[in-house]
Amino acid sequence: MRQQMVPGGGPEAAARSAPAAVPEAGPRVSIEALDFYYGETQALRGITLALPERQVTGMIGPSGCGKSTLLRVLNRMYDLYPNQRASGRVLMDGENIIGPDVDVNALRRRVGMVFQRPTPFPMSIYENIAFGVRLHERLSRAEMDERVEWSLTRAALWEEVKDRLRNAAGGLSGGQQQRLCIARSIAVRPEVILLDEPTSALDPISTLRIEELIDELKRDFTIAIVTHNMQQAARVADQVAFFYLGELVEAGPSAQIFTAPHERRTQEYITGRFG
Amino acid sequence: MAHAGARGDSIFGGLALAATAFVLLVLAGIALSTLIGGWPAFARFGASFVARTAWDPVQRDFGALVPIYGTIVTAVLSMLLAVPIAFGIAIFLTEVAPRPLAGPISAAIELLAGIPSIIYGMWGLFVFVPFMADWVDPWLAASLGRLPVLGALFSGPPLGLGMLTAGIILGVMVVPFVAAVMRDVFTLVPSALRESAFALGATRWEVVWHVVLPYTRTAVVGGIFLGLGRALGETMAVTFVLGNAHDFNLSLLAPSTSIAAAIANEFTEADSATYLSALIALGFILFVVTFIVLVFAKLLLLRLARQAGR
Amino acid sequence: MSAPRPLLRGRRKAVNALALGLASLATLLGLVVLVWILGTTLIHGAAALGPHLITQMTPPPGAAGGLANAIFGSTMLVLVAVLVGAPIGVLAGTHLAEYGRARPFAELVRFVNDILLSAPSVVIGLFVYQIVVRPSGHFSGWAGAVALGFILLPVVVRTTDETMRLVPISLREATLALGAPKWRMITQVIYPAARVGILTGLLLGIARISGETAPLLFTALNNQYWSMDLGHPLANVPVVIFQFALSPYDSWHSLAWAGALLLTVFVLVVSVLARTLLRGRTN
Repeated sequence: MRQQMVPGGGPEAAARSAPAAVPEAGPRVSIEALDFYYGETQALRGITLALPERQVTGMIGPSGCGKSTLLRVLNRMYDLYPNQRASGRVLMDGENIIGPDVDVNALRRRVGMVFQRPTPFPMSIYENIAFGVRLHERLSRAEMDERVEWSLTRAALWEEVKDRLRNAAGGLSGGQQQRLCIARSIAVRPEVILLDEPTSALDPISTLRIEELIDELKRDFTIAIVTHNMQQAARVADQVAFFYLGELVEAGPSAQIFTAPHERRTQEYITGRFG
Repeated sequence: MAHAGARGDSIFGGLALAATAFVLLVLAGIALSTLIGGWPAFARFGASFVARTAWDPVQRDFGALVPIYGTIVTAVLSMLLAVPIAFGIAIFLTEVAPRPLAGPISAAIELLAGIPSIIYGMWGLFVFVPFMADWVDPWLAASLGRLPVLGALFSGPPLGLGMLTAGIILGVMVVPFVAAVMRDVFTLVPSALRESAFALGATRWEVVWHVVLPYTRTAVVGGIFLGLGRALGETMAVTFVLGNAHDFNLSLLAPSTSIAAAIANEFTEADSATYLSALIALGFILFVVTFIVLVFAKLLLLRLARQAGR
Repeated sequence: MSAPRPLLRGRRKAVNALALGLASLATLLGLVVLVWILGTTLIHGAAALGPHLITQMTPPPGAAGGLANAIFGSTMLVLVAVLVGAPIGVLAGTHLAEYGRARPFAELVRFVNDILLSAPSVVIGLFVYQIVVRPSGHFSGWAGAVALGFILLPVVVRTTDETMRLVPISLREATLALGAPKWRMITQVIYPAARVGILTGLLLGIARISGETAPLLFTALNNQYWSMDLGHPLANVPVVIFQFALSPYDSWHSLAWAGALLLTVFVLVVSVLARTLLRGRTN
């Protein structure tokens, strides 16, 4: 079923779609005993967490608790900054993606990311999508058109922009720009999508659309979302992980975390006693 | 798929690095090439090259003192004129002018900086030299020229040409540069500092003099030295109005020359290897002097930038 | 504590008024000089304008003529200088902004570049004379273009470095998060995002080199005739102005003024264009 949704896929996509026959095939990403440092400061301590295939994992916790840091480990964003380093293991398909021999660019194709604020590139709507695709695949004109339409449709933006694909992306509204960024991420057909507070800069209506979109996307993708908004985590996440001061306090199904957390600190946070 | 972008990255990064190294190479090249070109003159005349007033193409006897003296005097004169005016303009733009006026005036002053120096030179030759000859020089000779010691500086026929005229035109040229630097550093003063002085009841001028200026002092001096660097090396604006005379003369009203003017005027006429070498040696001296002045200026400007946390 | 005496307060007010008045006067003086210079150039230059400027060659001493060869030569010199200097300048600025950042090497290059920015152009002319004219044995358009390119270079390096550093880090991260290698991020995302600033720098550089005279005296020199060959001395507007203005002939003076007007208008239009672009970006 996967290759039907991903045009221009070819045998590679078909091969990857094979294990998808089982909807809940265990963890897509396994984080094991992960430590992370900004220079001398330790930002994450011994994190062990699994991101289940095709589920939404919500990461919550007060500012500076390390939830965004964890997200940036999963696609090696921290590589940009020389004094940041991670140790431990993050496994995808049995490969430790924080190891030294990993091709970071290839990894980032498999693990897409959407940022807090929309980041449209200074080019047309069409080119914003095509740019990422061209990095990894050679498609014909028609295939590319199809891919652009597919990703914009999946991001619930196609109807709004189909008549102005050649216009600059900067002219879109904030909510549209953020959906464009989501479309851009899924256009390269990642396996995992990381969302770093994707609605914190948006109005409530745009937020609602993005949340609906996340619900829609988890049919195909494994999703990790960092959010400040506990209602949002409750609405979109299947599993919730609560972080505090660089540690993972507890993780579990959303319903359990929000109604019957095991830890007192979780209880205090979700009832608004700190953070 | 493995490391698909790695090769592109190393090629592009390498090109960028090479271009950057090229910038360093240019500076080193300027110093080295003028040193090598001037070497025959340095070798022939020794260290006394910079202390001799001789300039005789026929006897092939050259000394750099007159152009060095002319360069320094015109540059100093220009700074005496430019610094107070630039300071005034910077105060006007940051403290006095209402917002809708400050923008256009700022732009106009920057336009003044953009006018090619040869235009200043022409204006100097055709407009300002006659003005000096008809009005200023005779008056100076008749008043200051009669004073006992100072008089030597203002003696001679009113030609309009000379170091005073050149210094004034250089000053006009340098004003916008210095004013722009001063304006920029004045705006770096934290507004809390400025406001707390106003809150004590200080007048605008007192805020400028006791708060803004002390806070920005090093950078203001840096801006002045930046202007001095420009004035020392400026060529076309002074070449037109100096008169190109290699005779040593104390009077600011008498024709003289400067390093840049001597090179510009005589380079294509230099008929012997020694002559050419002497001119290039002048260029080397000019480069070294401006280099030192500019380094000093940059260091002072950097200090304020660090302090302001940029 | 006693209240300040009224006399003192009055004195402070007077000093304030005097100082601010002098500051305003200084600004007025600057504006007067600007108008004086531009007005003189306009009046003398406008009187000498005419179609002959672009149809006739520079004349022999005392005769009438135009500036056709000089205008063409200047255009070629600036064009070649941009083609040579701009790519190197943009690449060096790219290194400083994207690879060097705050490393000591990058800081050193920034420092040296700022020195080059203010280095006397006459010395840059001597440098090119030594490395191009002397080895090749003759003055040439190429040498002039190289000299102008060296003057353009630091302007482009600086503005490229500054504008590229203004591109938000989020845009870089978003590009790399798609799996883009760094060079594609720079060429396809950062350059487009910084293009207005880079273009502004280029325009400011063009304004600067169009009027440069001193370095051309030892490189391109001048040529009385029509020549499209950059391998030989090449006519150019600034050197023509220099030579004609210092001549004793009225017809040459008139051409010098016409050249001065053309040059000033060109330089001012280019700088105003650059500033307008810059303002459009910051708003």
